[in-house]
Amino acid sequence: MQTRFEHFALASMMGEKDSPPRFNGRVCFASEWERQAFGIALALAKTGYFEWEDFRQLLIQTIGEWQRTHALDDPSWSYYEQWLRALERALVQAQVASPAEIDSLLSH
Amino acid sequence: MNERFSYPADREARNAARVKALESLLIEKGIITSGTVDKILGYFETQMGPFNGAKIVARAWVDPAFKEKLVADTPAAIAELDLPTGMAGAEGEHMQAVANTPKVHNLVVCTLCSCYPWPVLGLPPYWYKDPTFRARAVREPRAVLKELGLELDPSVEIKIWDSSAQIRWFVIPERPTGTDGMSEAELASLVTPEAMMGVARAMALGAKTA
Repeated sequence: MQTRFEHFALASMMGEKDSPPRFNGRVCFASEWERQAFGIALALAKTGYFEWEDFRQLLIQTIGEWQRTHALDDPSWSYYEQWLRALERALVQAQVASPAEIDSLLSH
Repeated sequence: MNERFSYPADREARNAARVKALESLLIEKGIITSGTVDKILGYFETQMGPFNGAKIVARAWVDPAFKEKLVADTPAAIAELDLPTGMAGAEGEHMQAVANTPKVHNLVVCTLCSCYPWPVLGLPPYWYKDPTFRARAVREPRAVLKELGLELDPSVEIKIWDSSAQIRWFVIPERPTGTDGMSEAELASLVTPEAMMGVARAMALGAKTA
């Protein structure tokens, strides 16, 4: 039986602290940009621009940094904001984009 | 709008703009196309999730022979249905269905880890991983089920199924009464992931909210 990459990618996150929010057994997105950020990371790992595990380590690291500098119940928490940060880091780490290119996104 | 709420709204807009800019950059570099994200997410949105399990349960409700086979040889029964590949289990683990009856209620837990038949049930709810839930479900299932809103008659026997890396259990809930004239698709809409974990009944008529 074949395991799809999409299948594997989410299964590897289940129950871990970087596991995405879900509702009624589905991954859920509060807005379109969350969905896009999720899909881009998955697509790039699937096509081999970076390893899924490397992205996950960056995500765990990014979430950890946020938690160290914010209260646990800080209402400004956004899972997909951390996801987006981790994705930007993964792109630089994999040399898909330069730090300057990512910085230019920050000006938006 | 209160001043205090302006910041998160700005942030939402900023994040949205950043993702859009990032996507444009990647399209420009020829790394993705505008359809990439929809294509990869289509898998989760159309092929993977609790609606697969709901279809399996609905078939079992209308077809007693299928139900018998589903309990006897779950992967073979699932393979008969028109579901995406990978449904019958991947990487060697097997799914096993257990059927509720008026006398026996089945509850699925995993005391060691978070094994979960997610091709059928979707992604597990957060509390499924909770060590307290897992331990208490084994020790005092009746009390735990009551807390989750499922009060069983004392005469009903509760069987606990502990999922493992080898076997992932799911429950065929009882068909709700008053559903005789319903189509298979209508029946499937009554089957929730919780019902297939044994922490709820299939939704009664009129109780459907979504």
